[in-house]
Amino acid sequence: MKAKPSGTEGRFAYEGLDRVIHERARLSVLTSLITNPKGLTFNDLKQLCSLTDGNLSRHLSVLEGAKMVEIIRGHDRNRPQTVCRITASGRKRYLDYLTILEQVVRDAADAQPEVATALLQHLTPSRA
Amino acid sequence: MSFPIHPLDKALGDISSIRRQVARTTEFHGYGAATLAATGIFAMLAAVAQGFLVPDPANHIGIYLRIWYATAIVSATLIGMQTLARTRRIHSGLADEMILMAVEQFLPSVGAGALLSIVLVRFVPGSVWMLPGLWQITFSLGVFASCRFLPRPMAAAGVWYLLTGLTCIGLGDTRALTPWTMGTAYGIGQLLVAAVLLWGSKEDANES
Repeated sequence: MKAKPSGTEGRFAYEGLDRVIHERARLSVLTSLITNPKGLTFNDLKQLCSLTDGNLSRHLSVLEGAKMVEIIRGHDRNRPQTVCRITASGRKRYLDYLTILEQVVRDAADAQPEVATALLQHLTPSRA
Repeated sequence: MSFPIHPLDKALGDISSIRRQVARTTEFHGYGAATLAATGIFAMLAAVAQGFLVPDPANHIGIYLRIWYATAIVSATLIGMQTLARTRRIHSGLADEMILMAVEQFLPSVGAGALLSIVLVRFVPGSVWMLPGLWQITFSLGVFASCRFLPRPMAAAGVWYLLTGLTCIGLGDTRALTPWTMGTAYGIGQLLVAAVLLWGSKEDANES
């Protein structure tokens, strides 16, 4: 006889695990920006996240499209400079994501070792 | 002997560390202006009560201390309860980290003020007149310590408490125990804090 799953329905649905954020590069970009609320230049962000120009541009446009970051193009000492900053809505979504992520890890920690390993593999953000 | 850290514990540690970093760069909206203003009014009422109950505070220091301890306890309880509820509502994702930081910033000054009272009353009773000044100075240090996470103009409240504290000490005798020294300092000081909270914040209070 099959054992019935414990807990309530949808207990492990983790619907708050935002797909826009749940990607390794975008998670790096948002983590860098949320810990630097005054913003980071494109070059600083590129170095912090170990991304190429093209990759960072692509991920930034996804985040900008989702209204999670704002990109300010200006000049510093007559040289063009792009500054990226997290928006209030991006900040809120990131914190919500972090709460769900923490729940997933806690659930995994409560589970048997083999289940925990499987959950951890599932948890690893995707590479776009 | 060291034990290997489980990957899940490391992941939880990383999440917690990100939260702490975010909390460190977030303006704290847990203190409510109305509650802080109410504690200023409590201080003024306590000063009025002291005027009636202890006309000669230098010779009835026990009653003087009881009046101000009671005011401090009622005010701290009210602020504590409201801050907990408000922080959970406004900083939902960061509530625990923000509350912990607020306590870490302010508790040392409160603790120092309480210990100063015990030491002066027990071992140096002749210097008890310094207590109001010392309370205000230690309180100002708590305000300054909290300034980084509060609206910038909050430093003015710290300066106010520092100046009133120094003025009390400058009186040099038991005149520092008269009702107006505490009533004016905390009455106006807490109203100033409330005004800064109400009008000094630049960020949206519903942000995290």
